[in-house]
Amino acid sequence: MATGQTAGGSRRTTRWLDDRTRLAPVLAAMVHVRIPMTARTWYFGGIALFLFGIQVVTGTLLALYYKPTPEAAYESVQFITSDVSFGWLIRSVHHWAANLMILFVVLHLLRVFFQAAYKYPREVTWVVGCGLLLLTLGFGFTGYLLPWDQRAYWATVVGTEIAGGVPVIGDSLLLLLRGGSDVSGATMSRFFGIHVLVLPLALGGMLALHLVLVHQLGLANPKKPEPRVRTADNDDEPLRPFFPHYILDELVAWYILLAVLVVLASLYPATLEEPANILDAGHPKPEWYYLAVYEMLKFLPKDIGILAPIVGLGVVIVWPFLDRSPEVLARRRKVVVGGATLIVLALVFLTWRGYVA
Amino acid sequence: MSPDARPRRSPRVVTPARRLLRLAATGLVAGGLWFGLAVTASAEDPTAATGGSPAASPGASPAASSGTATATASPGASSSAAPLVSAPPVPTPIAHPPAGDTNGCVDCHSAVNDKQAEISAAWEASVHAGADVGCADCHGGDPRSDQITVGMSTEAGFLGTPDRTQTVGVCGSCHANVEVMRPYNLATDQYAKYWSSVHGQRLATANDTRVAVCTDCHGSHDVRKVSDPNAKVFPLNVPELCASCHADARRMEPYGIPTDQFEIYAGSVHGKALLEEQDVRAPSCASCHGSHDAKPPRATEVVDVCGKCHTATQELYEQSRHAQLEQAAPKCWTCHGTHDVSQPGPRLFFHPEDPDYECSTCHDLTNRTLRLEIDRFANEADRRCDTCHHPDSQIYAQVQGIADALGGAEGAFEAAGMRIEDAARLGMITADAEVGIAQARTSLIQAQAAVHTTKLKLVSDLSTDARIKADEAQAMAVAKVDESTFRRQAMIVVLALIALSVVFLVIIKRQLDRELEGR
Repeated sequence: MATGQTAGGSRRTTRWLDDRTRLAPVLAAMVHVRIPMTARTWYFGGIALFLFGIQVVTGTLLALYYKPTPEAAYESVQFITSDVSFGWLIRSVHHWAANLMILFVVLHLLRVFFQAAYKYPREVTWVVGCGLLLLTLGFGFTGYLLPWDQRAYWATVVGTEIAGGVPVIGDSLLLLLRGGSDVSGATMSRFFGIHVLVLPLALGGMLALHLVLVHQLGLANPKKPEPRVRTADNDDEPLRPFFPHYILDELVAWYILLAVLVVLASLYPATLEEPANILDAGHPKPEWYYLAVYEMLKFLPKDIGILAPIVGLGVVIVWPFLDRSPEVLARRRKVVVGGATLIVLALVFLTWRGYVA
Repeated sequence: MSPDARPRRSPRVVTPARRLLRLAATGLVAGGLWFGLAVTASAEDPTAATGGSPAASPGASPAASSGTATATASPGASSSAAPLVSAPPVPTPIAHPPAGDTNGCVDCHSAVNDKQAEISAAWEASVHAGADVGCADCHGGDPRSDQITVGMSTEAGFLGTPDRTQTVGVCGSCHANVEVMRPYNLATDQYAKYWSSVHGQRLATANDTRVAVCTDCHGSHDVRKVSDPNAKVFPLNVPELCASCHADARRMEPYGIPTDQFEIYAGSVHGKALLEEQDVRAPSCASCHGSHDAKPPRATEVVDVCGKCHTATQELYEQSRHAQLEQAAPKCWTCHGTHDVSQPGPRLFFHPEDPDYECSTCHDLTNRTLRLEIDRFANEADRRCDTCHHPDSQIYAQVQGIADALGGAEGAFEAAGMRIEDAARLGMITADAEVGIAQARTSLIQAQAAVHTTKLKLVSDLSTDARIKADEAQAMAVAKVDESTFRRQAMIVVLALIALSVVFLVIIKRQLDRELEGR
């Protein structure tokens, strides 16, 4: 009896809202879609989305206490970590979610690449996704400086030095990034502004576009190419509902990620080194996701070492337009899959080398 | 007193971490009294202290060991030091025609043979070449001429190579000349100092040309600035420079000087700082013995010599009863040694077991006055307070009070340090506890340094202050550790809730999948 009354109340509320918003058809169109039974996303993209949500929430909370000046930044981070209720948790979750977000965006890209999900008709989705990766890396780069401790300061010095080595535009780029010849309060101001205003807006916009494209185009079938023209012969693949079936799986993955975040934040909370000291280059090492480039610079001439990753990224972005073959099965794309595997292994090796160096 | 009747000190286990903390805590004290003690301990009389300076007793071989105190410290002995032979008058600089822009000497000599070319190149890289000090300034002759019969003729004032005795005068003719040195802002007392050194005195009194002269340390053609790391006299290179002669047993054999000083110094706290850590602030041989005026410090000088670096510690020592004793005054080296100065610590208070007491250690048996028998302190293991102070004495109890007060503070400091390490290892931010322990460290260092005053109350007060601060720091660290424990416990609860939610979702999902299959 009581359940029936509750359900009736809920229906009335929904109807009241819909009368005044007319959003029910839009929501239904967004949610009630079907996806191929064979689709295997490993939930990487959804997890990256979940982590972005975590970052928005924890970042907003951190911004309530953080003071973006070289004089006050370190102490405000110390205050957040030591004195603010659950400040340590919020900061540690923000720290770990940032690292995991980069990891899962990269894993998502690799999954799409190896499943050839970037091919027709999803080339634009791929390009937008690459933009999201770049914005995520930008988040990491700009956010890393904000605690203004030794590690943050010197990693930014090294990172901006690498950017300053780009041929032709290097000097201007260095000046643009630092807001002067050295990493200083001007650098912090612009990094903070970019981190909390520019990048969230840009990433939010691109993410919306990415999701709309995914919604419109659906998930790719990793077993066969998308037909250019749908006919009765090629439109018989088994489907399953996106909502609630796929969403439930995704939710389980998010819960597991949440557990991972809780464990990492509890056992390995975000630390703080000594305050930045411009006279003591104690940690001239960038964050782990830039270590491969950093390490590459030790083996290659400076210009080539800096240009190689830029050109590599450019190739990755336009790859759907270079790889015109409709084939999606990995065993029939041996050269591409083999080459990409080697590159990934090389990047992992360089990152490991940089980490232990 | 039998060993059993003696008040026992509680044994303390020294773990590597505790040792590190102790090193950190005592570092500044080490940077106090223990820094700069590379003096020859048997130094009441400079001639006796060098193991018999050749100037005073050629061939004499007292039982001097370079790293240990071996002579009897008798303040009266200082007055028995032989009077110094005065320095010869400063020669006038060698006259020669100005070279102008030419250098006929180098033009020819660089082409004569490889050896001459090397000499020319060495001079061109030297500080002298940069200051327009040419060949003729030391050798005479006419640098304008490229004719050997003219430039190197006696008519032109050519002197040849100065012998070792002449060398000091040749260098001194410019370097003791205020007007010549004025542009370079160099001291002009090296010449006088050299002749006052054991080297100079030996040269002056016995014409012993085997002693060090200017060129042995500074080079001849290749003279470099002291600040040049390639110079033999650069601070980091000084110990090896001195050792090049003083560690040579054959060369030192006529003088009876021990040759193990360098080896002993290299193992000392000073030697490690200079030679291993490349810390140019650490003392080299010259810091205590002097450079141009090299000689071993006497017992009456040793406190001032150490005090050149350990200023604050010297002031504390001079407040002590020790400093007021005349016949039995323990000096810096009595407890810390000379070339073998090691890291100080609580071990300096007592022997593990009571030593064998002999009246002659502290008393002159002929007239029953106090007099320190330095030989008793030759061995590092005997440089202890209870070498002199008998367990039955009142002073022994005072020493024990000082040791206990300091030990308590050090224990509290180490415990706090370990707790902070624990908290940091758990990823906790320990900035406040580190500030606390830094304050405790300051008080502890003050307490350790105050031992030199021998005043129990002062040491106790400072130790108590250090202990209180260390306890506060420890409390902060313990709170961090407790918070970390709470976080981990809370983590388990949250994980359990997440697991329950996942199970709930999986059950719903299976139900939906079954419904989907049914359709």
